[in-house]
Amino acid sequence: MSKLNKTIQEKTAELSELVAWFDSDEFTLETALDKFKEAEALAEGIEKDLTALKNDIQIVKQKFDSES
Amino acid sequence: MEKLRFSVSDFIAITNQTLEYAYPSVEIEGEVASFKVNQGKFIFFDIKDAGGSISCFMTVWQLRVPIEDGMTVVVTATPKLTQWGKFSLTVKAVRPSGEGALKKSFELLKAKLDKEGLFLEARKRSLPTVPHHVAVISSTQSAGYADFVKILNDRWGGLQVDVAHVQVQGTVAPDQIIRALNYFNERDELPEVIVIIRGGGSADDLSAFNDEQLVRAIAGSRVPTLVGVGHEIDESLADLAADVRAATPSNAAQILVPDKNEIIRAARYQVRSLLPRVENAIDQQSIFVRTTLSTILVQAEDRIQQRLEQLNGIRSVLAQLDPRTVLARGYALIRGTRRVGEMIEIETNATIIKAEVKDVQVK
Repeated sequence: MSKLNKTIQEKTAELSELVAWFDSDEFTLETALDKFKEAEALAEGIEKDLTALKNDIQIVKQKFDSES
Repeated sequence: MEKLRFSVSDFIAITNQTLEYAYPSVEIEGEVASFKVNQGKFIFFDIKDAGGSISCFMTVWQLRVPIEDGMTVVVTATPKLTQWGKFSLTVKAVRPSGEGALKKSFELLKAKLDKEGLFLEARKRSLPTVPHHVAVISSTQSAGYADFVKILNDRWGGLQVDVAHVQVQGTVAPDQIIRALNYFNERDELPEVIVIIRGGGSADDLSAFNDEQLVRAIAGSRVPTLVGVGHEIDESLADLAADVRAATPSNAAQILVPDKNEIIRAARYQVRSLLPRVENAIDQQSIFVRTTLSTILVQAEDRIQQRLEQLNGIRSVLAQLDPRTVLARGYALIRGTRRVGEMIEIETNATIIKAEVKDVQVK
């Protein structure tokens, strides 16, 4: 897991936790707005990270046409 | 012209040199006959057609696909005259030729490996949900590889992808793929998945993926394998031995990584779905406040009503006690000293009378 990918997974998990909070008994209108803003920022962060990530594709130098 | 004279051994040797020079490696197509294995190591069979037959010799380890009598094959061989004067082909490789032979060979090997348990579901390992380090074995010039890379890049980023370029068809393909598999399995830093891909092709093109040693190498890989060969309808033994089978190279990329666009959509949806929940909570809170206020109002009205009723009762009692009520009933109110000769005031309902006391008697 790369550091950045891990962060995406962490952010995704955190977003899910926040969403679950809205359905939980801990929900209060007083804190809902802050939590909503937090969720919005997380979703934007996930999108930004995922869009920025590029794959590093390398062709190995080793030749396989005969026993080396 | 001078006649050449040789010893038997020399003639055999020079004939073999001539053959080797003329035909260092030939491919001959024909039907297999009299197939037999001696001592578990040496294979003898004849290859024939309507006009002739040639003896063939090879070792068991060179035979990569099962063959049997009646099967049409192509042998890659070197012609040789043995020391007993018998002409034969020293076979380096055999591959089934034609759809029927390929199918027969496929079924024979499938049954054999299935019996050994190579395709058991219990052997299958799952792939990581989001891998970081992936190895790919394919021809980097193939359309299948290009499809795989395109889908992979569209779906996910941040991967380290090591690609082994190999031939994916022909007699050399199985060994190259096996070497690439060994290469990745022997790395200090093992990849999390080895992906083997090849695009569509004829049954003959795809037959490399039915090579016994390759199938065994895939089944024995330390690193979990994902194999996507040919089109959706194609089935190879490499597919069956893999931990996970993909229908096509594109499908392999879909299996390998999640779709970032779906994750982005899901994240947006999750956030959007919160607003109705908050609105619903506000609505519920409003209903609660309104209901509570309404209850308070009803209770207050009840209290007021009760107090009004109490007040009315008191008023009624007071009204009964009001002197004017008594006067209205015909009684009179007398003020003053009740002594003879004193002036007193007599108040009736309608009048106030001044009078002098003439007599006072005690009852």
